Amino acid sequence: MIDLLPHIINGLTLGLLFALIALGFTLIVGVMEVINLAHGSLFAIGAYFALTVIAGSWFAGTPFGAWWLSLPLGLRYVLALAIGPALAGLAGMLLELCLRPTYGKPPLYGLLLTFGAALVIEELIRLIWGTGEQNLALPQAINGAFLLNGMIFSTYRFFAAGFSIAAIIAVWLFLERTSAGAVIKAGAHDSEMVRALGYDLARLRLVVFGFGAALAGLAGVVMVPIWGLRPHVGVDIVIPAFLIIVIGGVGSFWGAVIAALLVGLAIGITGAYAAAWSTMSMYLLLIAILGFRSRGLLGRKSALEH
Amino acid sequence: MISLSDIPARPSAWITPPMIALALLLLAAPDLLPAIGLYQYLGIEIAIWIGFALGFNLLFGYTGLHSFGHGAYLGIGAYAFGLFQHHVAVSLWGGLFAAVLAAGIAGALVGAFLSHRRGIYYALLTIGFGQIFWFLAMKLHRVTGGEDGLLGIPRPPLTLGPWQVALTDNRALFYFAAALLMIMVVLCWRLANSPFGRVLQAIRQNETRARFVGYEVWRFKWAVFTLSAMLAGLAGSLLAMAQQSAYPDVMSLHQSGLVVMMVLVGGGLVSFWGPVLGVVFYFVARDVLGGLTETWLFWYGLIFMAMVMLRPEGLAGMLHGLLRRGSRHQPSSARAPATEAA
Repeated sequence: MIDLLPHIINGLTLGLLFALIALGFTLIVGVMEVINLAHGSLFAIGAYFALTVIAGSWFAGTPFGAWWLSLPLGLRYVLALAIGPALAGLAGMLLELCLRPTYGKPPLYGLLLTFGAALVIEELIRLIWGTGEQNLALPQAINGAFLLNGMIFSTYRFFAAGFSIAAIIAVWLFLERTSAGAVIKAGAHDSEMVRALGYDLARLRLVVFGFGAALAGLAGVVMVPIWGLRPHVGVDIVIPAFLIIVIGGVGSFWGAVIAALLVGLAIGITGAYAAAWSTMSMYLLLIAILGFRSRGLLGRKSALEH
Repeated sequence: MISLSDIPARPSAWITPPMIALALLLLAAPDLLPAIGLYQYLGIEIAIWIGFALGFNLLFGYTGLHSFGHGAYLGIGAYAFGLFQHHVAVSLWGGLFAAVLAAGIAGALVGAFLSHRRGIYYALLTIGFGQIFWFLAMKLHRVTGGEDGLLGIPRPPLTLGPWQVALTDNRALFYFAAALLMIMVVLCWRLANSPFGRVLQAIRQNETRARFVGYEVWRFKWAVFTLSAMLAGLAGSLLAMAQQSAYPDVMSLHQSGLVVMMVLVGGGLVSFWGPVLGVVFYFVARDVLGGLTETWLFWYGLIFMAMVMLRPEGLAGMLHGLLRRGSRHQPSSARAPATEAA
């Protein structure tokens, strides 16, 4: 008998991180009706910038670089957690500007454009950061392991899971309890009406895209110590992310969170029995759930079906 | 924006002038390619991908069903061809048949699941299924050789009655691929302009209306998906012969996306010939830009993005615009925008 507990815990932490990526994704789908296939690439951008911030590699050899490296790793890590997502958000805004000509056309065009963007970003990453596999240096405080009931757990996984929970709650509070969040939700519900009420729809879209992209970047910084960092990581991560929003129901906040936890659990538990096949489980989950509920767990009818 | 129905076609004709032009180009290609500094193998690749893209465009351009997992059926065709040679018999026709059959069965199963879906959900599910096949190809080591690929696939000789021609030479294989391609071109052309093809286009323009007119829409969607999977399988078997091996990476999301990009850049949304232009443009860009810079995919990606933003009707649409400007005597009514359902 395999002891499932560590696998369940690993699965849940993975699921929480997936939720963070999927939230930005679902927010963008909801407001913009664009399936952003470049979402994983924004995740990668956040992570790669974090790498640069922590290692200070762009200023290596200069006095500034030397001073930078003399800062404590913990401080650099916190800075990376802020700068990585911020730059990912900026990249997202740039992408939104490119998307503008596709509004009002079938959703296919947004899908195609972001697919092209994913390709371009991946090649850019190869150009700037090289093609090899890299990893983030972590501060000592969160980079250890501890024993619980005779089993070894990595501290970082718990840090990442706690961080995701905090981020998910913060996003939820932002959407539910602030007036800016209310406008975003209204935009997802009926963007024409929001415009009629005098809000600047173009700016709303820009902000939402930037916000969603920053969430992806944040997930990137937090997740990379678990997944590793390679130029292809954007495509590797966008697939679980979109599976999650389809399973959860396109545009649904809690749908995405629940689906992310389900996918994480499926991967974790399959990993206990057949590690090589663990990724397969999420596709089977997708087909099983969509077989019964064609709009996902909590999905509603949307313009994307045309 | 113009649409497929705006570019005049002569639906009654079996053979049209562009087909003759393509056939002549294909005939000359083995001598033409080295003359302009490229190589013969490129011709085989182009012919294979044109076949794949034409079949794909029946689904993508004509029916408006956006599959992002079509590389899977190309891969299934390649594996089926290779496995047939390894485990059943070294036979060309047997291998081709096995490839078409295997891709057709996979397509029929997936199509049955997909055909009640619409829009973005359809596209997302095709990605899901494409990934499943890719994953199987990677993980079923004993059957497919996993990441290393299925190696040592022979090029069986072509036998036609008493005739026998060896295809081991690239030139011979090219002519065989070109002949198959011409058959596929005529087949796709006839199909696109048959009553069946009209229904497909009606589904693209407005699926709900097509259903209310009385067509069982999902059957058409299923049929065209299966058919385009079979054509992909045929192209896949040629790919297995050309590479003398089969690899999982043609089945990846990346490669499935490439065919979408090729078709769109070429103008598959507005013209039957779009995929042909798109495939040729991609491979020439790969070899020319690839010779200049290692990051040619970056530039190709930028061209693609610009195309989607500014000219989604692609090369074929631009060409059509130029030709129309050249001949001003066309009635202006032909320019009325098609009423596409958004």
